[in-house]
Amino acid sequence: MNPLGLLVMGAPRCAAADVESVLALLPPHLPVPVVLALHRGPLDALAPPLGRRCALPVVEPDDKDPLLPGAVYLAPAGYHLLVDRGWVSLSVEPPEHGQRPGLDALFESAADSHGPRAAGLLFAGHEDGVAGLQALHARGARVAVVGTNQTGGAGEEGEMAQLTLGSVGGWLARLAYVPRSKVLP
Amino acid sequence: MTGPGARGAELEALEVDLLLEGVARQWGFDLRSRSRPQLLRRLRHHLREERLDSFSALQARVLHDAEALDALLRTLSCTPPALFAEAAFFRDFRTRVVPVLRTWPSVRVWHVGCGTGEDTYALAILLHEEGLWGKCRLYASDASEGLLADARTGVLPLPTQEDAQRYLEAGGKGALSDYYTRDGNWALLQPRLRDGIFFTQHNLATDGSFNEFHVIVCRDTLLTFNRALHDHIHGRLFESLARFGFLCLGRKESLARTPHAGAYEMLEDCGRIFRRVA
Repeated sequence: MNPLGLLVMGAPRCAAADVESVLALLPPHLPVPVVLALHRGPLDALAPPLGRRCALPVVEPDDKDPLLPGAVYLAPAGYHLLVDRGWVSLSVEPPEHGQRPGLDALFESAADSHGPRAAGLLFAGHEDGVAGLQALHARGARVAVVGTNQTGGAGEEGEMAQLTLGSVGGWLARLAYVPRSKVLP
Repeated sequence: MTGPGARGAELEALEVDLLLEGVARQWGFDLRSRSRPQLLRRLRHHLREERLDSFSALQARVLHDAEALDALLRTLSCTPPALFAEAAFFRDFRTRVVPVLRTWPSVRVWHVGCGTGEDTYALAILLHEEGLWGKCRLYASDASEGLLADARTGVLPLPTQEDAQRYLEAGGKGALSDYYTRDGNWALLQPRLRDGIFFTQHNLATDGSFNEFHVIVCRDTLLTFNRALHDHIHGRLFESLARFGFLCLGRKESLARTPHAGAYEMLEDCGRIFRRVA
């Protein structure tokens, strides 16, 4: 299994409360950056409420900021957030599925730049993000869907882990697991 | 783990590299310094729009047909779709930059990456309302002749109710409809605005500085470039900006880690408007 390099999360607006709960489960010493796209309006202040229970800082990055381990990068309003290897790349491409930031955009860029070293978590409830998660899956990334997915109809969905708010903590812990033999003294 | 997805991705990356190499050698447009993730997404989008199966097929078309190249460059450009698309910037510009411009005898403004001209015309309307039009020279540049040709016509999709609302939020002093005449679903901007703007073809990647300016507006244009070209262009912009001139960037663009960051001060309590102080 490839070592993890990036965790991407995408969520529709209706799952904002679930996102807050899942951010609270992130271990404080997570060895990878977390990048989060959440559907939002132009005036929503999201970083402070999402960061309230999260052990990691939640920031809205500027274009071409570096992605550092142990921080949550939240897509700013009005921009797609793309991952360019270790860097943030913001984009003003047109909205997709009526949304900017979009979830497919983030997942697609993570699939391109990290491939099997990425992990993707989609909160169900919107058509946006399904195609991007499948792209991540096809490139060998570890992916999972939180909540019941009524919008996706593709057969490939079955291969992806379906999680609940109760089981997502275990999934995250397994992602961050590093075999003991690899830990340097 | 190498599945079919990974192998397909490797082939796609190869085809994209060949396409970009071909475009650079045939047309002199070097797209290899673009932000890679954004470029890949725009190219895939273009492939779907053109109903082509592969980038090799697109390459065959683009190398032989200048119009196909123009269509590709259009897809790669992301101009804001309406006048005053970001009201907050124009409001800040009005309250923070305009008072300083009033005190100067003449003002040269450069709008970098004007695309189809929506923001350029919004800026022209603002300068006109503030009584600066007479002493301002507004230059607008883009790398794509096709987009510039659109911008020069001064014809835009008819502004909507929301556009008029944003114009007011931006501090508009009249009515947006004062500045255009309607023709069906299109708006013809007033000739006195259109004719006062110098639209010029300028490629940020290859062309040098062409004048000294007091205001440079370059908003969300550099998002499409990779880090190296982004820094290089900031060098050009620095050379083109007079001391105490203003540099206006997009809401989430920063000068951090660019070569001349120390020469600028950011205006407080507004968006990303910087003043060159050294």
